[in-house]
Amino acid sequence: MYEIWLVMNILWEIALAVWPLLLVGGVLWLLLMALALRRQRPDWRGGFRLALLAFGGVAVLAVLGVPPATQSSLAEMGYWVDWANLLAIAAGFGAIAAAFVWPLAAWGRARPSA
Amino acid sequence: MAQTPADPSRRRWLHASGALPLAAAALGGATAPARAARTPTRAHIVIAGSGLGGLAVANRLTALLEGARITIVDAKEEHNYQPGYTLVASGVWPVDKVRDRNADLQPAGVEWVRDSVASFDPASNSLTTRGGQRIGYDFLVVATGVALDYAQIEGMDVAAIGRNGLASVYPSPQAAQATWAAMQAFAAQGGEALMTLPATPLKCAGAPLKMTFMLRDRLAQAGTLGKSRVQFMSALGNVFGVKVVNDNVLARWQQLGIGVETSHKLAAIDIGARRATFTTPEGERVERPYDFIHVVPPMRAPDAVKNSDLAWKEGPFAAGGWLEVDKTTLQHRRYANVFGIGDVNGTPRGKTAATVKKSAPIVAHNLVEQIAGRKPDVAFDGYTSCPLITREGSAMLIEFDYEGRLTPSLPMIEPLQDSYFAWLMKVRMLKPAYLAVAKGRV
Repeated sequence: MYEIWLVMNILWEIALAVWPLLLVGGVLWLLLMALALRRQRPDWRGGFRLALLAFGGVAVLAVLGVPPATQSSLAEMGYWVDWANLLAIAAGFGAIAAAFVWPLAAWGRARPSA
Repeated sequence: MAQTPADPSRRRWLHASGALPLAAAALGGATAPARAARTPTRAHIVIAGSGLGGLAVANRLTALLEGARITIVDAKEEHNYQPGYTLVASGVWPVDKVRDRNADLQPAGVEWVRDSVASFDPASNSLTTRGGQRIGYDFLVVATGVALDYAQIEGMDVAAIGRNGLASVYPSPQAAQATWAAMQAFAAQGGEALMTLPATPLKCAGAPLKMTFMLRDRLAQAGTLGKSRVQFMSALGNVFGVKVVNDNVLARWQQLGIGVETSHKLAAIDIGARRATFTTPEGERVERPYDFIHVVPPMRAPDAVKNSDLAWKEGPFAAGGWLEVDKTTLQHRRYANVFGIGDVNGTPRGKTAATVKKSAPIVAHNLVEQIAGRKPDVAFDGYTSCPLITREGSAMLIEFDYEGRLTPSLPMIEPLQDSYFAWLMKVRMLKPAYLAVAKGRV
């Protein structure tokens, strides 16, 4: 339990260091959601497929890009714990991308009124 | 050279918002001090020093006690993230990342005496500051850190760090930055490098090893490794106090071509001529020329502790004047109203931020027990940790206790494994963890 509390605090402190970015991102996401919800018949199902694609694409980019961005490289993946952490981080980036793409795609792919 | 750490307004906002996790803990069931029942007291608690240990205990006591008067005594306005010095000194971090405002990390409602402790008089429950102010206390927490005893090295001049191939990561962020400048200049040319280790207890005993690994890596990156020689000069019989780690590092260095000489203590240095003199236990004096030298100073307790009745009077910690605490409760062995936290403690191992992370809750708890008239009842096992950088991009995450047993926090962590995750922790996660420790949350 202590380790979970420690990780929560680490994430909290990282968030404090980038709070303007998080604020802008949060407002932008709310705007996208509002845009999609106000549109008549937004295509949430079709948008979700695009969001999944965005998730996968960004996660792959993150796997390739996070080690160099942290002054390391894929060659430094020493054992499975390294890969597990890198994949978790990549999944986080992918989820953020999907969260933005979903409302945008649902809005853009709105079905015409019957 | 001194600059004010940037962004005070943002930091004020951040400090205010730091209360949110406490609120979350109170609601959610985490083990933050805010959840514990507060102990009522009118006691005056003085905390000497506001490094990580002093701040962590101050923040915890503020949450644990109701009605106490807490005073911090420390002259420094700037708080330095010392675990980041090796990153600055090896060109991984800019220097700004290790500089914060001390005021931003102190709890609200605590009195801050902006002065250093000149002397302790535990018999009269008081201390005196350099400015002559006498401060009485009911309970005392000693958190003064260590003194860097460069004066033991004849000819050493801290102001010269960064010039003539002279490097030393320990004294300040500026020294770490100057060390990086010296390392870059050396790596561009190559040559003879000497990496020293004194015989005294050290804060962050892994730092001399990290600097050695990183120097070798920078030479390889610069293409000058072939015309260079890196030699580690240890005043001890080994390079690290935990045998399994020591053996692992020596095996790595053998593969990397880093030479090791033991029982060679740096005694003198001629900075202009770039010559270092070492002494051996047999009294022999050995002179070595160098192009680059990393000087690790002998360390001891600050004079105020060393010259007081708080210091060990006999045993292995007496020579350095370290604080005489019980290694499990961290309570002073002769003065029950005195506790120690951090580097100043005369305990077998553990002068790192990780030691403070594990021991600060114990010190705060045991002190509260003492205030409440009960016996301190939580024991510290000597936990400490060293993310040992092996090259840019990789590290080993080594954790161990008083007995030198490896004690990984999570069972899946392999301490002696080269690891990206350990590197990522060192460069991205440990400072946030450190700030959470300073604020008394973890």
